[in-house]
Amino acid sequence: MPPSLPFIRLVHRNLRKYRFKIGLSITIAILVLSLISQYIAPYPREGLGYVPVGEENRRLLHPSPQHLFGTDTLGRDLFSRVIMASRSAIIQAFSVVFLSLIIGLIVGVLAAYFKGLVELVLNYLTELFMAIPSIVIALFFRLTLEAGFHVVIISLVTTWWAWYARITYVYAKGVVELDYVVLAKLSGLSSAKIIMRHVVGVIIQPILVQAISDLGSALLEASGINFMGLGLPPGYPDWGVILYEGISEMGIMAFTRTPWLVFYPGLFILLTTLGFTLLADPLREDLDPRLRRRWKLWF
Amino acid sequence: MVLAVRAGGISIGYIDEEEEYIVWAVRGVDLAIEEGDAFCLVGESGSGKTTFASAIAGILPPHAVTRGKLYIFDRLAIDESTWNFNGLRGRVVSYIPQNPGTSLSPFLTVEDHFYYVLRDTLRYDREKSRKAAMEALLKVGLDRGVLEDYPHELSGGMQQRVLIAIALASNAKIIVADEPTSAIDANLRASVLQLLGRLNREYRVTLLLVTHDLASTSIVCNRLAVMLAGKIVETGRTISVLRNPQHPYTKMLLDCVPLLGVKKPLKPLPGEPIQVVEDKAICPFRERCPRAIDKCVEEPPLKPVGDEENHYVKCWRLTGVESG
Amino acid sequence: MPVSLNYIFKRIILSILVVIGVIVFSYILLLYTPGDPAVKWAGNPRGPEARKAIEMARRELGLDQPIHVQIAQFIYHVFTGNLGLSIAYKVPVSQVITSGFTATLELLVFAYLLAVPLGLWLGIYSALRRGSRFDSFIQSLSVVLASMPTFWLGAIIALISYSTTGFLPYGRVSYKLAASTGFNPITGFYLLDALIQGNYAVFLDALLRIIPPALAISVYPIGVVARVSRTLVAEALLEDYVRTAVAWGVRRNTIIKHFVLKSIIPPVIQISGLAFVYSIVDAMVVESLVFGREGLGSILLDSLHKADFRVTIALAIYLTIFYILVNTIVDIIQASIDPRVKI
Ligand SMILES: Nc1ncnc2c1ncn2[C@@H]1O[C@H](COP(=O)(O)OP(=O)(O)OP(=O)(O)O)[C@@H](O)[C@H]1O
Ligand SMILES: [Mg+2]
Repeated sequence: MPPSLPFIRLVHRNLRKYRFKIGLSITIAILVLSLISQYIAPYPREGLGYVPVGEENRRLLHPSPQHLFGTDTLGRDLFSRVIMASRSAIIQAFSVVFLSLIIGLIVGVLAAYFKGLVELVLNYLTELFMAIPSIVIALFFRLTLEAGFHVVIISLVTTWWAWYARITYVYAKGVVELDYVVLAKLSGLSSAKIIMRHVVGVIIQPILVQAISDLGSALLEASGINFMGLGLPPGYPDWGVILYEGISEMGIMAFTRTPWLVFYPGLFILLTTLGFTLLADPLREDLDPRLRRRWKLWF
Repeated sequence: MVLAVRAGGISIGYIDEEEEYIVWAVRGVDLAIEEGDAFCLVGESGSGKTTFASAIAGILPPHAVTRGKLYIFDRLAIDESTWNFNGLRGRVVSYIPQNPGTSLSPFLTVEDHFYYVLRDTLRYDREKSRKAAMEALLKVGLDRGVLEDYPHELSGGMQQRVLIAIALASNAKIIVADEPTSAIDANLRASVLQLLGRLNREYRVTLLLVTHDLASTSIVCNRLAVMLAGKIVETGRTISVLRNPQHPYTKMLLDCVPLLGVKKPLKPLPGEPIQVVEDKAICPFRERCPRAIDKCVEEPPLKPVGDEENHYVKCWRLTGVESG
Repeated sequence: MPVSLNYIFKRIILSILVVIGVIVFSYILLLYTPGDPAVKWAGNPRGPEARKAIEMARRELGLDQPIHVQIAQFIYHVFTGNLGLSIAYKVPVSQVITSGFTATLELLVFAYLLAVPLGLWLGIYSALRRGSRFDSFIQSLSVVLASMPTFWLGAIIALISYSTTGFLPYGRVSYKLAASTGFNPITGFYLLDALIQGNYAVFLDALLRIIPPALAISVYPIGVVARVSRTLVAEALLEDYVRTAVAWGVRRNTIIKHFVLKSIIPPVIQISGLAFVYSIVDAMVVESLVFGREGLGSILLDSLHKADFRVTIALAIYLTIFYILVNTIVDIIQASIDPRVKI
């Protein structure tokens, strides 16, 4: 695929940057964790949300060698729950960003490439969906559908794609006017070919970088929806859900008496988001000449 | 005679983003501008005129690097790599920038521009600065109505004249004008140049006029320097250089512009402008010179021309070295 | 790039269309999801009154009329704020929503009054000292803070407050204190009400309770504004007009204050507006679940738990309207302070 090549070069160029290395390490660590957590979790069944039977005295234990992060209100091992929730985080962040990116790219490029009515309608749709808070969509789904991944993912994608459509449109608009695209059109190349090779191929890099840094925001927003209890069902291994159970079932005093219930899942959200941000920031600086220029207070 | 500007072997370069190489825009220039001179700096695009002018105005960007020395009224402003323009900017040297469209803040009215400049240089209050502004605007042929305008409400020519007026308002002793007429109509161009010339004659303001328009030099300037690839290849009294150009490059420049009172066929300037990355001592014009000789791989010295006062040229051909 | 007046006009038209779109969508949701729309609108009533309530809901919605009439009627009800009685609170829906908005807005505005100036200051200060230790510290801090879930940060702040001072910032005000001092909220903005009534005890109490959640909420806008203003200052320092002003002898402080800052204010306002609408959701999550404050968040959760369909739908619609309103207002403000746009 042609667009990936310059992107790989871009990544390669930034490999030696200190921030990029940290971001990459964190991201890889979380990815690996999401794959192997169910094998390394000390209590994998509890990690999935099953409540241990006949062990009532295990509720709300402080962190200890047996239970590294302590246990939750139902006596489940928090460490197992938290590390197994990395999978849910990865699934939500990546699918939200990936789906939004695909839809946004298609809509944005089409709007820029085909002028007239197509442009008008697609831009109207973009503005329409940009103007709806994702929590509203989540509410609608919550009213009609069962809890689950689809609620979180669809409600985020419904508003997120519009942002990608917008930035794609802005970039693509600049490109489709360029001579070589006009020449390609005149030379009778098919629209699909021109769009893929000469439009998408050119604008994809900054949009991909934006997508990487958005992985973090997607995770934060998804966690917020799950924390509100609008997304995944109770007991599901997800950091937002675990936090919700930690705070709501214990009431406000949860984090004064049992801080570990709140601390660890939040810490993992923080680390994962940080990883994505650190990964994307150096790439963004590399691509944006305005951020690259050396400036200082020189007078 | 007091020297307004004295450059001693000054070189100015720009460091690239990765800090890997330096583009030398000005390379080892020796130059003296006397107080009261109207000094023209001509040369093709990219020859380093703006760079040299901004060094005198004290506004080299942070990624510029310097060598050599620059004195302004005997104040050492650039000493190798250290710069000190405190007290010089605005009060001793003022500046007319090259791009009128971007050189005024879009968020301030013309009056505000005057006010902040005059308050900070001459401690004027609103009232006084308004009066000074009106006077200065009158000089450049604008009426006081523009004071309330924002830059985007003015035409390019008006913006340029506002820039000139602001530069004049603080009564600096040296005015560095970087192509001040590039955005103005031909009819106004002459009057702006005349205005600069008059300031120079009547108020003894030292003028450094950067231009690539040789015709304007003859109106205003008494001295002239021709710059090529960061070096001064010929300098002297304007009349002397225009009447009796020595350097092949100067000759070619003169061949391609019409000059008042001189009848001659016009010829296009051959070759591409030169950009210098490494600082090799060769004659920069060698590649394009119709009369190049083997010796030209070395840099020629700046030699006086005949018995003309202050007329110097940098060419092996004129130093007695013939064919080779 | 300055926003043009033409753009704002188009924006307003579009906004109205968007709002109508959301209303229609809500109504279709009501009609075509499983279950009788009248039953849903009446809030799944039980008991002897159920039949009557469902009948009333049916009449309210005009379910016997053609669909376009129903929709037109529904849109009319939304714009006149007439969506009937809340099932859970037994007061008009509009009243529930209004009280939620005032509570959440008080928190948000408080947070933003704190965040935007602070972020601006941090951004400018670190831009002017680029590469200094302060700059790199602020840079790293803003990356870390931007990666924190707001509700988690809120919980940590509450924990710190509790463990250091023994004060748990729960709710909007101590009801005992409010009752004993005869506090009577009029506008719904408690801080304002307490000040107007000269009730300083309540004011102080409300202030102490609003600061922790506001701090948590303000972290995001502080980071955004600091980052953006740092880049903007950097760009402005490279502008030709700054260079020229330097050459004219304008002093550094004047340049920063009058040449640089004036140019970054409009984009900072725009970015703050974007952050503000994003923070609404943040505030809803934090205020309700972490700090136990009444507001849009608690109304949302209540309406869901009690199947108060009207309130849920009204909340969704008015939230969208508010969202769009903020965006449009920000655009207008931005246009009105940019001299390049003629009003
Ligand atoms: N800010 C800058 N950063 C990096 N390089 C620069 C900068 N300004 C100028 N240069 C380089 O320095 C050289 C000389 O440029 P300069 O602007 O001094 O030319 P000039 O004679 O004023 O040309 P013109 O007639 O087009 O204005 C050019 O090669 C240019 O690429
Ligand atoms: Mg120039």
